[in-house]
Amino acid sequence: MPAVETKYFGIVSYAEESAVLFPQGLPAFEEERGFVLIDSPESAPLVFLQSLARAGLCFLAIPILLIDSSYQLAIAPEDLEDLGLNAGSQPVLGTDVSVLALVSVRDGLLASANLMAPIVLNVRTRRGLQAIRRDSRYSHEHPLAPLAGVQATEGTRPAETAC
Amino acid sequence: MLVLRRRAGESFLIGEEIEVEVLAVSQQGAKIGIRAPKETVVLRKELKVTQEQNAQAASGPSAQDLEQALRKLRP
Repeated sequence: MPAVETKYFGIVSYAEESAVLFPQGLPAFEEERGFVLIDSPESAPLVFLQSLARAGLCFLAIPILLIDSSYQLAIAPEDLEDLGLNAGSQPVLGTDVSVLALVSVRDGLLASANLMAPIVLNVRTRRGLQAIRRDSRYSHEHPLAPLAGVQATEGTRPAETAC
Repeated sequence: MLVLRRRAGESFLIGEEIEVEVLAVSQQGAKIGIRAPKETVVLRKELKVTQEQNAQAASGPSAQDLEQALRKLRP
């Protein structure tokens, strides 16, 4: 099993299929293509998007449906093409794609989530991109409130995440 | 904010060197052409916002401060 040096958990070994390729990187981090998804029971529902190349680069993310259970995707056709998905219709969240919102910290607390530009992962190909919405339906600084009904779960294996 | 009404094929100038032309207008939106010096950065605003937001997200808590940061999510 490959291993990666992480920002939060020391050295973690992970299954190959937990690695995610971002062919275009992420805006402001265009050179960072390889990431691995890590979760840990103590930190649920947080998911860690850890760079494979830079131990110090790790985004905190939350499955978007936990923030807004009625979140509606609006992925641009060219982004769908880049993900290898049918550009003519929106993918099914949870079946075709996993969708995460990146979280920002302010004053030492998780403060907001970016619902305007979610991380979209093609669950079959393990390729991802940050799909910036063209509309203004959701905020890039959606305030985070306590997530009711969210409990840390026993036995969650690192780097295997349902979102 | 200055508001101008332009039709497809019409353009306007920003300063001496930047020309913005409305190429086409449809229900989906307006198609814009921009002629500007090479050194002028032209960026969709939402991309700039995302870059800034990502830079902030990447400077998350240290490993020691993670538990503290998480308190916000606990009911």
